[in-house]
Formats: sequence, structure tokens, C-alpha cells
Amino acid sequence: MSDWSKVTRPIPVPNQWTQPFWDAARRSVLELQRCQSCGHFQHPPYATCVQCVSTDLKFEPVGGKGTIYAYTIMYHTGDKRFAPAVPYASIIVELDDAPGALLAGNLLGSPYTDAKVGRRVEVIFEKLNDDITLPQFRLAR
Amino acid sequence: MPLPADTDATTPKYLRDKYAIVGVGETTYTRGSGRTTRAMGTVAIRNAMQDAGLKPSEVDGMLSYSGNDSTPSTFLAGDLGIRLNFFMDVNGGGSSTEALIGIAIGIMEAGMCRCVAIFRSMNGYSQVRIGGTGARSAAPINGDALHGRVYGWQSAGQMFAPTFMRHMYEYGTKPEQVAMVKVVHSEHASNNPKAFYKKRYTVDDVLNSRMICKPLHLLDCCVETDNATCIIVTSADRARNLRHTPALIRGVVGRCSKPRADMHYQCGPISRVAGYYAKDILWPNAGVGPEDIDAVGAYDAFTFTSMLQLEDYGFCKKGEGGEYVSSGITRLGGKRPQNTSGGHLCEGYTHGMNMVIENVRQLRHDVDDYCPIGPDGKRQHTFDYREGGCRQVRNIEVTANLGWANPLTGSAMVMRRG
Ligand SMILES: [Zn+2]
Repeated sequence: MSDWSKVTRPIPVPNQWTQPFWDAARRSVLELQRCQSCGHFQHPPYATCVQCVSTDLKFEPVGGKGTIYAYTIMYHTGDKRFAPAVPYASIIVELDDAPGALLAGNLLGSPYTDAKVGRRVEVIFEKLNDDITLPQFRLAR
Repeated sequence: MPLPADTDATTPKYLRDKYAIVGVGETTYTRGSGRTTRAMGTVAIRNAMQDAGLKPSEVDGMLSYSGNDSTPSTFLAGDLGIRLNFFMDVNGGGSSTEALIGIAIGIMEAGMCRCVAIFRSMNGYSQVRIGGTGARSAAPINGDALHGRVYGWQSAGQMFAPTFMRHMYEYGTKPEQVAMVKVVHSEHASNNPKAFYKKRYTVDDVLNSRMICKPLHLLDCCVETDNATCIIVTSADRARNLRHTPALIRGVVGRCSKPRADMHYQCGPISRVAGYYAKDILWPNAGVGPEDIDAVGAYDAFTFTSMLQLEDYGFCKKGEGGEYVSSGITRLGGKRPQNTSGGHLCEGYTHGMNMVIENVRQLRHDVDDYCPIGPDGKRQHTFDYREGGCRQVRNIEVTANLGWANPLTGSAMVMRRG
């Protein structure tokens, strides 16, 4: 099991596009930007729908279940703040409810060797500070 | 492979063979140059001018690229006694080499200057490491960067690794197959006196080296070095009066990208790289196809990058890259040797320049290996590719360079012997 207890993650800085995503995460809700014209989910959020260029975009809650699309296991860190956790799994997840808007995360709560393409996972929330809570993943229960 | 239909995507056919690379030069590949990028860049350009037989007054254009880790063209030109009619220093790393060669053609075609020196000078080991430590880790995480650093993604290798893992999942690609890229490039480096690593490695050496991030072992990663490199481009007409057989530029592609370049895996399969799109510009412009290529420089920041590009440019079928790179085709003496200098994995890390430089020397039939120099001062190539021997490709006429910035952006070029 990767030991995350000594890792101080860098804190993301929200901007006008990402603020609703972070606001929802703070309430332990996963919300992604969705085009109201064509229905496309996208992440990260943008000023326009990358599918149809509409600017009619809203954040909608999505279910947190998905499948590992790709991953890597980090044994060496560029950012030394992550060094205490090696080896750890960084994963890219395809959500059941929002295909095409893949989400990144770490696989928490199980050995890094459990990270495999195709594994079922579900979102959990890791509080970093009063402002930022990070969507993360564990194996689906 | 049948030649694809002509497109008018970029280079018109009348530009084929109209421009040439006439001079190449570099500094020694080191770790800890103890020199500024200004000093190294000046030496590399000077070496390339001498190689071409050009005086400073005959070079009037300069292009460079960097990640704010180099010295501007104007400083180097002044140090060399060059008065510039055109210069531009652009931001960028890998995939810039071929793109800037295309820009050089464009500015000369527009009549803005006549002879362009392209340089890259970098203390890529002792100052700014793309491996991702230091300043690159300390920068704040911008609002849109939701996918990377907060989850422990930082270096180039870490960012590309999911692409490689997904390729292994989709196509059954095996680490021992991809390790052959390192093995083969190291064989070539063992015949290159300039190479930083000249040792020949085995598949076991690669697989037993420590893991950096799955599936990349240490020896799947290139060797970060300090160095400067220079390529001089001018018209084929002017090239005829210079020292060497020119390397004529058949066609170029510059920074061709997948859709949605910032999050490439959101659009199209993650295991697909920019070559998938770039090939449709490269081959029609060059008027040749993969089957016509005698030697390849396939950007090898990592073993996997080389392999993925070979697939998407059509040197083998998608998914068969592992088989291709471990088949012997890519070796000196094989059907289509690649990275004959040892590339980024062994010779040194230059953000793409050294693989173009190598192909220019190959096309001159005059690579600097360990073959004896004859009474006429020319190297007598033995074509004995054993360690410490020859690395000249026999009868080489046409080369390809496949430049890589990351999975989503690439550049490419075809050259032929003039
Ligand atoms: Zn839309």
C-alpha cells in the first residue's frame, strides 16, 4: 500500500472555469461541465464545447463509477513532495455517466498493484484544505 | 506500401529538393558542460559553418527553440560576426527541429533571407532537466491543469506513461520487445565516437534497470545531456558550391497535432500519436512512402516514443510496433536502420537535432565512425557493424525523421541524397 500520509500535495488554483468543479468537490459531489446544446461532457472545463463550439455550458452532477482506462505506477518522482508515497498508482478513469470526459486520480485504499486497465473504480473525496477537496478513486465496492 | 495521393496540405511539390541542409555541427555531449548556452551555441554554429564551408557573412538567418533555457539568436549571431536579415527564437522542445527547417524554407522562399542557421543549445542535464525536478515542480498549478501534478504526474515520462500502458493493453506489446529499441540504438552508439553512452545493452539490462514509472525502466529513458547543435539550411542552388553532398529536403511537417492538444487522450485513442495525422502530410509532400525510406530517425525520448511513431507513420501496422522494433529491421545491416547515432537514448539529448544531423551525415555517406581514414582523407567505410566499427548505412539515398514533442504533437521530414 502506498503511504500518502507524508505527502503534501500541491494545491490547485481554481479559475473562473474550474471553480464550479471545485465547489462541488468540496460538497463531495462530482460535477462536470456539460454542453447544453449537444450533451457532451468535457473535462477540464472550457469556455466553449469542444464538440460543437456552443457556449451554453453548465455543470451537472455525474455518478462516480467508472473504469480504469490507463494508468502508470510511479517509482520515481519529479516532484519530491510525492516521494514518500512511491510506488503509487496514477490512473485515468472513464466514467460510466460521462464517457469522453476522462478523469485523473490516484488509486487509494488498496495496493498499487491493484491498478489495472479495465478495473472498476468509484470516486472518493480527499480534503486538501478548506477550499480544495480532490476527487480521487478506490476500487468499486 | 502504395504511395498515398498528393495533398496540398503544406509544401507544394515544386519545393521538393529546392532547399538543402548543407552544414551540421555540435558540441561534445557532456553532463556538466561548465559552459553557458551562449558559449556552446556559438561553437555549434561555428562548427556547422565550417562543415558547410560558409563564412559568417554568408549566413543571414537564424532560428532557435528553447524552453527559456537558452540564449537568443541575436547574441550568438553577434558573437559570430553574423549580421541577420531574419531571426526568430521560438518556445518548444522536441518536434521543433523539423518544424523550424520548414520555417527556414518558408522565409527563404519569401525572400527574407538566404541561409539559415538553426540551433538548439541546452544544459539539459546540469541546468533544466526535462526529467522534471527543480523549477518545473515548484510552479503553481494553473486552474485548467486538473489532470496532472496534483496526482503526482510531473515529468515527460510520467505524462506519456499512460499512453504506453494503454498500448500494451490494447495490442499486447511486451516490455522485452520495446527494450529492443534501446538495445539497437546502443549497438549503433557503440560505433559513434561522439555518443555519451557507447556501451551495448541487452534486453535483460533494460528490464533489470530500476523502474521509473511503469512501463519505463531507467534504460527506456533517454540520456539527459548538456550540448548545442546546429543545422544550416539554404537553397539547393547555393548548396552546389559548398563542401558536402547536400541533403535535399523532400518534405516537412511541423508540429502537427491531435485534436484537443492539451488533453489528447480525451479525443481519439490515447495510444494514437500525432504521426497518425502527420503521415498524410509527410508522404504526399515528399512523394515517397515508408517503404522508400533507407534509414529513420525516430525520436527516442523513450523507447516507446520511437515505436509508437513508427506505427503511426506506417512503417508497420498499428499495434505491431513491438514486433517491428524487435525484428532486426531497425539494426544497422537490417532493412531500415534507425537512430544510427544512438539517438537520444545513447548519443545525447538534443530535442531532436542530433537525429537530423545524423541523417545528413548518413546521406553524405560520411558518418564519423571508427572506420579508417584513407589517403584521400575520406573515411573508408567497412560496413562491419560490430562494436567499435562502422555505422554507415550502405547506399543510403532517402531518410525520414520523426520528431516528437509528446503523444499529441509531432514533426517530420524526408531528405534525400543530393
Ligand atoms: Zn456541444
